[in-house]
Amino acid sequence: MSKRSTATKRPLTYQEVWGRIGIYAFLGVLALFFLLPLYVMLVTSFKSMDEIRLGLIFSLPQQFSIDAWIKAWTSACTGLECTGLQVGFGNSVKILVPSVIFSILLGAINGYALSFWKVKGANVLFACLLLGSFVPYQVFIYPLVRFYAQTGIYGSLPAIVITHIIFGMPVMTLLFRNYYSGLPVELFKAARIDGAGFWKIFISIILPMSVPIAIVAVIMQVTAIWNDFLLGLVFAGRENLPMTVQLNNIVNTTTGERAYNVNMAATVLTSLVPLTVYLVSGRWFVRGIASGAVKG
Amino acid sequence: MGAELTRHVKRNLVAYIALLPMAVVVIFAYLGTMAWSVRLSFSSSKLLPKNDFVGLTQYFTLFDTPRWLTSLGNLVIIAFFFLLICFALGCLLAIFIDQNVRGESLFRTVFLYPYAMSFVVAGLVWQWVLNPDLGIQHTMHGLGFTGFVLDWVVNPKMVLYAVIVATVWHGSGLVMALILAGLRGVDTEIWRATRIDGIPTWRVYLSIVLPMLRPMIITSLVLLSISIVKMYDVVVAMTNGGPGTASEVPAKFIMDNLFERANIGLATAASTVMLVTVLLVMAPVIYSQYFRKSGRAS
Amino acid sequence: MIGMKQMVAVSAIALMAATGVAKAQEPLNAEVIHWWTSGGESAAIKVFADAFNAAGGKWVDNAVAGGSAARSAAINRIVGGDPSTAALFNTSRQYHEIIGEGLLNDIDEVATKNNWDKVLPAPIAKAVKVDGKYYAAPVNIHMPLWIWYSNAALSKAGVEKPPETMDEFFAALDKLKAAGITPLALGGQRWQENSLFSAMLTNVGGGTLWKSVYGDKDEAAIRSPEFRKVIETFISLKPYVDQASPGRNWNDTTALLIKNEAGFQVMGDWAKGEFKQANKEIGKDYGCIPGLRPDSPYVLGGDVFVFPKTDDAEKVKAQNLLVEIMTQPDVQVKFNNLKGSIPIRSDVDVASLDACAQLGMKIMSDPARQAPDASQMMEESVYGSVQDIVTELWNTPMTVDQAVERFEKALKG
Repeated sequence: MSKRSTATKRPLTYQEVWGRIGIYAFLGVLALFFLLPLYVMLVTSFKSMDEIRLGLIFSLPQQFSIDAWIKAWTSACTGLECTGLQVGFGNSVKILVPSVIFSILLGAINGYALSFWKVKGANVLFACLLLGSFVPYQVFIYPLVRFYAQTGIYGSLPAIVITHIIFGMPVMTLLFRNYYSGLPVELFKAARIDGAGFWKIFISIILPMSVPIAIVAVIMQVTAIWNDFLLGLVFAGRENLPMTVQLNNIVNTTTGERAYNVNMAATVLTSLVPLTVYLVSGRWFVRGIASGAVKG
Repeated sequence: MGAELTRHVKRNLVAYIALLPMAVVVIFAYLGTMAWSVRLSFSSSKLLPKNDFVGLTQYFTLFDTPRWLTSLGNLVIIAFFFLLICFALGCLLAIFIDQNVRGESLFRTVFLYPYAMSFVVAGLVWQWVLNPDLGIQHTMHGLGFTGFVLDWVVNPKMVLYAVIVATVWHGSGLVMALILAGLRGVDTEIWRATRIDGIPTWRVYLSIVLPMLRPMIITSLVLLSISIVKMYDVVVAMTNGGPGTASEVPAKFIMDNLFERANIGLATAASTVMLVTVLLVMAPVIYSQYFRKSGRAS
Repeated sequence: MIGMKQMVAVSAIALMAATGVAKAQEPLNAEVIHWWTSGGESAAIKVFADAFNAAGGKWVDNAVAGGSAARSAAINRIVGGDPSTAALFNTSRQYHEIIGEGLLNDIDEVATKNNWDKVLPAPIAKAVKVDGKYYAAPVNIHMPLWIWYSNAALSKAGVEKPPETMDEFFAALDKLKAAGITPLALGGQRWQENSLFSAMLTNVGGGTLWKSVYGDKDEAAIRSPEFRKVIETFISLKPYVDQASPGRNWNDTTALLIKNEAGFQVMGDWAKGEFKQANKEIGKDYGCIPGLRPDSPYVLGGDVFVFPKTDDAEKVKAQNLLVEIMTQPDVQVKFNNLKGSIPIRSDVDVASLDACAQLGMKIMSDPARQAPDASQMMEESVYGSVQDIVTELWNTPMTVDQAVERFEKALKG
């Protein structure tokens, strides 16, 4: 991974030492800024409500308690049932996996076809798609409900997966299209001369080079789909409600009381899945994956 | 001509088929919905869509609504600062992280984690942090710095910047990830070559690497633009548009009228205005980007 | 666990079939969409669910936090052809358009049987009766404009007794301010600022002005000196609010009273839940003032259930059973005790209600003091514009003249 440092195996100069210090200072200060809200969330989640009412948001808990976390996961009320977040976890996974896979795959195919092949009108379609991504989802809900109702899949797993594919398409296509437009076209031309077809080139040449952008795509789609509440609520049906519906039920209220400690714990718990994906994805944030594939 | 067209289609037939799903989605889901919402903006729809025609009434009402005009103005300010700060910060983070720092994956996760947090609660936390009686100002006063003022959330003149702080916190990690993915694709040979030639690092970034990252930069800018136009959750959670209407944004206006206020006609008029605005801003960009050089192979 | 239940049910049916029972008495399924998700609210809705299940029904709970999210979920289900059995709405005009579209079942049968015309307060009956038919079952009455106070804060500031008039109220505010206590706790969110304004309209302007401005949208009333006085009084409250007010949630605002850091708060009767959570007692730690004039109107807000259109006889039966159960006197008392509101009917035993609720019941028994909530007197879009004006009035240096003009424009359309 550190090809560059191996190239410079000599003692650092005075200037370079200061440079290193500057880099760490910059990253460190910003990391503190980024972590501040997480710190507040965590300390709040370990406090009792009586302590939270004192309004000292930065202070450490006087009495450290994990009750809020247990409650958020197992017994927080989300209406009549008081079963916490756990009930929706399976549903969220059930929605997440196919939606992420299909939306990314479609995005990659679209991006590939758009940037390497000549399809009349394709760019107009793409421009419309991009334009559409600026319209709030909420405007789409009514026509989509009518459409699903007519096709008989309203309130089912396919409905919510298709919905996520539809709303993921502009950004996924954009991501892959722009990434592919930066790849050397010579590879593609050479493969065409060798007589390789659309799918053969896609699978054996383009896909292997797509790793870095695919990681970004996974990060984006996992986050968006996992955190989605509205579409899940409207389209998934009662049997498949995702975890965020429970999260919303726990944290959102107008005139009911608010248990901030449970809210914070529930929010952090819900975000654990995307966070894990971020951590694991780091393995592929490695220099040279794309260029290596080019050479290979 | 006709024969040529047939030959073209035949050569690219599979590509046509592969793009069919996209065509269906664009035509039915996107264009269909856009046309439908534009149609509704000329109706008197309240809670449910109606098929009557009231001309431009909703548009006149819209531009006679002070809150809408405030929202538009706010959007311009947010767009400028958010785009600038978020993009610059994301790029800097990516470049710094790319300097062989220790604990890279820790830093990367720290800068990216806000992106995973639901704004419903994160917005509340930011509201606390920036609130003079709870957050940083309160703590500083407790430490004896009684002259310290940080009241952005409750100050109508500064509240937009409070929102920008939270959105930058939320969004710059993604820009970092995109740019980092791009940087990691830059050929290592280039670094070796420039090092031997003794070109300063900042010049390499500015004149060699950045141009190579053009596609990633465009992608980030478009993603940021989309999140600006759709900005809603953060405002609801942090300020709910207040104090007064000082931090209202167009998407919130659309949503409030779509649901809370049961005023679909006005909401679709507002969303049409946004759509046209985006079209006007984007048209030159899209044109130069996607129509000048379509399909690089034949 | 579900599997177990299903197995028991299946074997029970099998048993009945074997023993020759022609058709098993299957429970009436009722799926109910509502937004009562917080702890106290969940306990309250459980009263309905338990009573319904005990009467041979099977309550299927579908909770969606946030009023507008839950309502649009219910409407989407209707549009999608898969409606729930019942759905929660506010006692307002929110559901009048779907009645007009013929998307709801009427519940006249139960209403007539239980003599709703007599039992319900007039404004509530008016809100749920459209074209001579009852379409919604009211389940509670929330009075959104109570004035709460902290006993300790008041006595510390030397306020001997809670104010009974507007003058006494301002005198108390001044004393609190002099004592270094936040006189008026306000959460600076649109709806809370609107509650404060409404309280000024009912307490300074009175019931007649409340109805003529918001109900009749009478131009003369909007331009009257009385309404200007309301606006002026509202503006004059600004110096009594602390600077951290904007954006604050209502419960954090109530917490200021709990901590005795603030004197008064205008908030609905659900605020009792927050005091209760902090182990505070009515009378000892805090108190409630229904109004600041002898004839101040008691504004009747609250919640209703509506019943989406269906021809399925079983479903209609379930809907009627729900209405029957939820409006029963004993269920009403139990439910409202937990919800913090008061029962929708006067013929209930009030002994078990808390002091504030009993006071509310007493005031409400006088029809002259009953007043509809603002949301029952205008469309949501109009009410939204009104709230926009109020929040701007509070947060910008808008003049009284400008405010009057904008109120007139918003209300007259």
